[in-house]
Amino acid sequence: MSSLPLPVFLVLALILFCIGLFGALTKRNAVIVLISIELMLNAVNINLVAFSKYGPNPGITGQIFSLFTITVAAAEAAVGLAILFALYRNRRTVNVNEMDQLKR
Amino acid sequence: MELETIRSYDWGIMAPELIILGAATILSLADLLMPKKASRRYLAIFAFLGVACALVALFMQLDNGVISILADTYRFDSFSKAFKLLFLIGTGLILLLAFDDRKGERDEYRGEFYYLLLTALLGAMMMASSADMITLFVGLELLSLSSYIMAGLRKRDRQSNEAAFKYVVNGGISTAITLFGMSYIFGLTGETNLYAIQNALGDPTILQNQFLLVFAFLITFVGLSFKIATVPFQMWAPDVYHGAPIPVTAFLSVVSKAAGFVIMIRFLLVTFIAAPGVAEKPLLQEVQPYLAILAGASMIIGNLIALRQRNIKRMFAYSSIAQAGYILVPFAVISGLMFEAVWFYLLAYLFMNIGVFAIIQLVTAKSGSTDISSFAGLYRRSPWIAVCMTIFVLSLAGFPATAGFIGKFGIFMSALSTGAHYWLAGIMIATTVVSYFYYFNVIGQMFFRSEEEAGKVSIPGGVLTVTAVCVISTLVLGILPHTALEFFYNQFDLSQFFTPTK
Repeated sequence: MSSLPLPVFLVLALILFCIGLFGALTKRNAVIVLISIELMLNAVNINLVAFSKYGPNPGITGQIFSLFTITVAAAEAAVGLAILFALYRNRRTVNVNEMDQLKR
Repeated sequence: MELETIRSYDWGIMAPELIILGAATILSLADLLMPKKASRRYLAIFAFLGVACALVALFMQLDNGVISILADTYRFDSFSKAFKLLFLIGTGLILLLAFDDRKGERDEYRGEFYYLLLTALLGAMMMASSADMITLFVGLELLSLSSYIMAGLRKRDRQSNEAAFKYVVNGGISTAITLFGMSYIFGLTGETNLYAIQNALGDPTILQNQFLLVFAFLITFVGLSFKIATVPFQMWAPDVYHGAPIPVTAFLSVVSKAAGFVIMIRFLLVTFIAAPGVAEKPLLQEVQPYLAILAGASMIIGNLIALRQRNIKRMFAYSSIAQAGYILVPFAVISGLMFEAVWFYLLAYLFMNIGVFAIIQLVTAKSGSTDISSFAGLYRRSPWIAVCMTIFVLSLAGFPATAGFIGKFGIFMSALSTGAHYWLAGIMIATTVVSYFYYFNVIGQMFFRSEEEAGKVSIPGGVLTVTAVCVISTLVLGILPHTALEFFYNQFDLSQFFTPTK
């Protein structure tokens, strides 16, 4: 496995990031939107870990950074889901298109 | 790390942060132990005392030079002092606002609000004194996560729920984009310390990857533009400002925005100051046109869309997008006047915008609607409130003898000082003129419309204090701006900002 060059990881991360961004911007289901954001954050982790192992200037701080990213991403998912729960209790919907109370 | 090293740190310089952290912890415990029915309103006073103590602690350290602890991740320098002052004053005023914001007992703030406000403040303060990408990111997220919850605080209110959800989704996307940029910056340099990155980016070997570096810069900038609500990440602002409770809106539009500028200046300027660009010019000069376009677009979009808003909160949301566009101008042109222009404008903006939201809170609570018509005939009902609102609005519009004018003048001069940015200064003037229409619409409503509803608007003590402080500061900063600027010149040292601690 160690023979895989750095660009492979970077392209994987880039593809994952783009899928996440696309999903976050186009999906109608709020849960899928939150999952897409997680995909984007995990793309960052792949980048960080790949750079810290195979990058031009490898260093352990990248892996530490990714630990922080994972933790914060978990917190963000928790907050996002909690807010979605509150919204669902009041509106009985998770469809992003129906969240239009604030357009006026 | 051994105990000895931990003990040898000068923990005293973290005193403001530690006080805020302590206050937030005590508040969360108090909220837990208090009887269920007890009013949580008085927690606000405790939170306010915490902020006041932190302010005193900060003032006691004003004479300290650059100190950095915790393996250079926490750094106390003139930049962090100057901006922490803004955060603390802003949060203190917002706590006073929240103290009086009640729509009947049911809607009274829950205890969470007060300690989330303090943790958000803590995040902002950590951002102001971080010298490491990881701590900057954690501070940013502490601020963001607390504000997501605060935006959705009224959990039975549909608008508040929706505002919070939109904020979380937009915030999550922007965080991911920022981090993606940061991961490339880490990848190219192998460092997370800002000054180590600065050093590594000055190294000629980086030239092989300059395109990646420009990409990393721009993508990080785009991600960070979420916090300051400028193009391309401005669309959350109207909805969130509209749906969130008014003190939270004031917090988002003032403290959170100032924190966004802090992380932008701290992170992007320190790391990229020596970075080479794609052609011969340095990177920061090469990206200037793009940043200038973003600043111009924010001013144009914010001011034009504000023209057709009927809802007062949405109008001031667009106005705050435009204001952020103005503050982005000195950053985009990167002149020597940048720090004082940004700092002074943020200070002026803090007072005038919190003042505006204090009065919006009073008036909309009375009329029960956030439509602009609730201001109709305010002058006849409560002349003093109308006069205060006029001062704030004139200051936001940039009229002479107000703080906003001096701030805008400083920004305008910095745009002209580096040359070749005349068009940006031109956009600034043109959009300022456009902004007169909607600002004067508010004034027109107050003075020339007949009132739709009778009855004086009464001012509770907290809001009265906030309004008085804001009016006085707006006028003093407008007439005697050197009082603040002298403080800034005495404290701020540009060379400190760019050089690592020895």
